[in-house]
Formats: sequence, structure tokens, C-alpha cells
Amino acid sequence: MDPTAPTRVTASSAEGIFTITLTDASRRNALGSELFEQLEQAVARAHASAANGETIVVRLRGAGSAFCSGFDLEECAKSAAILAQFVRRLGALTAALRAIPAVVVAQVHGPALAGGCAIVAASDIVCASELATFGYPVHRIGVSPAVSLPTLMATAGCGGARLLALSGEVIDGRRAQALGLVHLLARDEAALEELVSALADEIARKPPEALRATKAWLNEIDGTQATGALGAHADAVTEATASLCLQSESRLLLAEFWRRRKGTT
Amino acid sequence: MPGLVQLSIDQSCATITLNRPESRNALSFEVIQALSKRISEVAARITAAPGDIRVVVLAGSGKSFCAGMDLKAVLHDPVRMGGMLHELSLSLYALRQLPVPTIARVQGAAVGGGCGLVVVCDFALTHPQARLGYPEVNLGVCPAVVAPWLIKKIGAGAARAMLLSGGTMGGDEALARGLVTQVVDPAQLDASVAELVARLISGGPHALACTKRFLNELDGSNDKAIAIEAAELSARVIAGSEAQDQLARHFQAKPTPQAPRD
Repeated sequence: MDPTAPTRVTASSAEGIFTITLTDASRRNALGSELFEQLEQAVARAHASAANGETIVVRLRGAGSAFCSGFDLEECAKSAAILAQFVRRLGALTAALRAIPAVVVAQVHGPALAGGCAIVAASDIVCASELATFGYPVHRIGVSPAVSLPTLMATAGCGGARLLALSGEVIDGRRAQALGLVHLLARDEAALEELVSALADEIARKPPEALRATKAWLNEIDGTQATGALGAHADAVTEATASLCLQSESRLLLAEFWRRRKGTT
Repeated sequence: MPGLVQLSIDQSCATITLNRPESRNALSFEVIQALSKRISEVAARITAAPGDIRVVVLAGSGKSFCAGMDLKAVLHDPVRMGGMLHELSLSLYALRQLPVPTIARVQGAAVGGGCGLVVVCDFALTHPQARLGYPEVNLGVCPAVVAPWLIKKIGAGAARAMLLSGGTMGGDEALARGLVTQVVDPAQLDASVAELVARLISGGPHALACTKRFLNELDGSNDKAIAIEAAELSARVIAGSEAQDQLARHFQAKPTPQAPRD
């Protein structure tokens, strides 16, 4: 890790709960190079801590107004190679979250869009505020949300996954709960904080071996395990999606999108 | 023990009743074996005389539908425990394979393996005061046997959240989360089951059998290997020190295994 890079992600661990907070509030916790790298490292540390029995729950949250607003488009607009690389990293990140031998709880208080929604779909238990928003509005920049589909189909079902991934529609917490993407809904941010704290404390007191065995078994039987034939398939999809980013459609759309956004702000 | 699980056939409806009310129909090895025999009996009758039995109701006598696996007696006998989980898993599989609609009539409690019986049925009716759910992970137990059926019932994401959180819920929440298909006043439970039975019998038996067979194919219900693997995994986790400690403590504190207080 670049020691001079500003802090984009913080991680702390106490009483069986490993909390990862995205802290790039001014950029709505967009997935840029720095945030990606720090998040990857935090997830790796959470994995190691779970594997040696210290961590039972991993809590994911975002500081500021958003949970995570997806890829940092300013960075993506600079080069198609960066966008393609981000797609690969997101695919690896969702697989890494599934593989952590602990219960991953997402605390979603605001927008969780595109890559942010992929992180949500890869979590084991999703708690959200009614004011949170979810969706994959990525077609407008010529990007496919394919890397999120295995876990999205497992959580929101085949119908819900089709709706979200093909329409690009952004839905609120209540609707996301109806689709199955959100498991526990709170009225607002304060109620959500309380809900997730209580849930994390409760799970962290449970016998960890049974939780680990149960999560591993669920990964195996619901098709979201990132190893073996399914893992190879997911890798192929990630590669295809990444190479899509190198084509002109995406490059033109992204440049156009970024030009318009800059012009209006 | 012929009385542990009873079978009665009234017109076109077969009712299989768990009959160990003094233990809230907890699933001992003997109960599971008797259940398995009754399911085979029903399957054989349907094969021998198609159309004679058009619906199967699964019920429990006494205050509770089923308090779950009776692990106390087999806690220190891993071989017998493995056999018990294997038999339960195959019973769930056999229940799913019955070529007629199945209905769980759930009063009181349906917990752990008992709630597995609920979700493997095509329909389940309960009342608001009932307690349903999967507290397995609270006791260091892995709910591997019920997981495949729960996933098919409520979806993989919801099943993941439910099994990893542990605990039980009331009848209304069970309806909202998809564990059961109908919640009625407890006094109306029998009448509502009878109404559903009548409605299912009024349909074409061939169409229902074809539909169920196709649904079983589509949602992976015919995967017997998963049922067997699940039982092995669950037995392995229970034999581990974590589960042994948790369960020993649990049995010291409470006389009835895996059963919440009403």
C-alpha cells in the first residue's frame, strides 16, 4: 500500500466484529484506485482474522451520504484500461466477500449503486435504511453489471436480478426488501445504526464453527462459491465484461457522460 | 413402535401424524424411522392405485407440530447421530418426491428439523402464536439438512440471512418471510387445511402430478446426493467440540432439545 495515499477505508476489530468503513465521503465512497486497494486489503485482513477465529462478523459501512456510488468515473474516463481493471477487481472483491469465513453484514444508509450494489449483493445479510437506494445504472456508460449477477441472482432471485441488471432502474430500500436484496429494513440512518449494532453483537456471540460451516455449505449449494467450475465461469464472465470496457462503445459513452457531468457542475 | 407416527386415509387425503406429544414430537431415531416408513407406505399406495390418494397432510399431535431433532440421546454416539441425520435427510427427500401436493399443518412450534418438514411441503398453514425457525447455529449446529429445502422455498439470499442469524419467529413473520403459505386463527386451522385439501382434490390429479414433478426437476429437488452430503456435514459439525459443548450446556439448562418455550 502506498503509505502516502490518503485514507479511503478504515478497519477496526473488537469483540468478534471486524468493521470496515469506506471513508471517502466527498466522492461518495466511489471505487477508485486508492479506495479499491485499501478495501481489498481490509477484506484480506478480515478474512485472516476470521480464519484464525478472532472475527465472527464483518460489518461493511460507508461514511457520509452514500454507502458506495460505484466506480470512480473520473478515473475511469482517463483510460479504458483502468475501467477494465476495475471490473476485474470488483469481480475479485465480490468473490472475496463470499469467501470470508465470517458473516458479512452490509449497513446501507444511502446510495449503493453499480459496484456499490455489487458489494451489497455479495454480503450475507443486508440491512438498509428506507432512504437507501440500489441499482445498476451502468448501461449509460456502456458497462455490464455481469460480475454482480451470480450473487445478485442468489439474493434477488432470477426475476429481480433481471429487473435490476437490465433496466438500470434505481430502487429504494422498501422496494429492495420486497425483491429480497435487503433483509432487514430500518426507518432511517439512526435506526439502522442501532439495528446493525444489535445484529452484529448477537451474531458475534454465536458459536463460530457452526456459522462458518453453514456459510460454506450455503456457498456450495446456492452456486455462489467462487471456486471450481463456477469460479472459472465467473472468471470468464469477468474477462468478457472487462474486455467490453476496452471497446469503443463504452469509451465514447463514458467520455460523453463525464463531459456532460463536468459541464453541469 | 407402531404408534410414533400414524397414517390415516380419509377419502383421497392421507394424513401422516407425528405422535410423540409428550416430547413435542421431537425427532428421535425411532420417530424418524417411523416417519420414513409412513412416507414409503403412502408412496407405494399412490404407485399401486394412482388417484386413490390425492393430497398428503403432515401433522403433529398435541401442542406442537415438531420441536426438532432429539439430539440428547445420541449426543455422544456419533455413528447413531450420523444415521439419524441421514435418515431424516432422506425422509425430507422422499416427502418431496411424493407425486401429490403436500400440506404441513403447523401448530405450536416447528423448529430446526421440524421446520425442515414444514418447508419441504408444498403448502404450510399455521397460526400467529406458533414459533417457527432455525435456531441451529445458536447451539453450534449446522442446519445443512434443511438448507437446500429452505433455499428452494424462500430463495438463497433470504435463506442465507435466516440460517446465519439463527432464532425463531412467529406465524405472521413466517408468512411474510415465505416459510408458510397461510396464517389463520388457531381455531380455524383444521377447517382451513380441509378447505385447501378440498380445493386441491377438485383439480386434475394428472395435471397436479405433472406440475409437481416438473417443479421438482426445475428447482433441483431431485438431487439426492446433496441430501446425503448435507446429513454427513451436519453430523460432522455436531460431533465437533464446539457443538458438543454448546449442546451439553443446552441440555443441562433445558429438558427438551431445540424447543423454544411457547
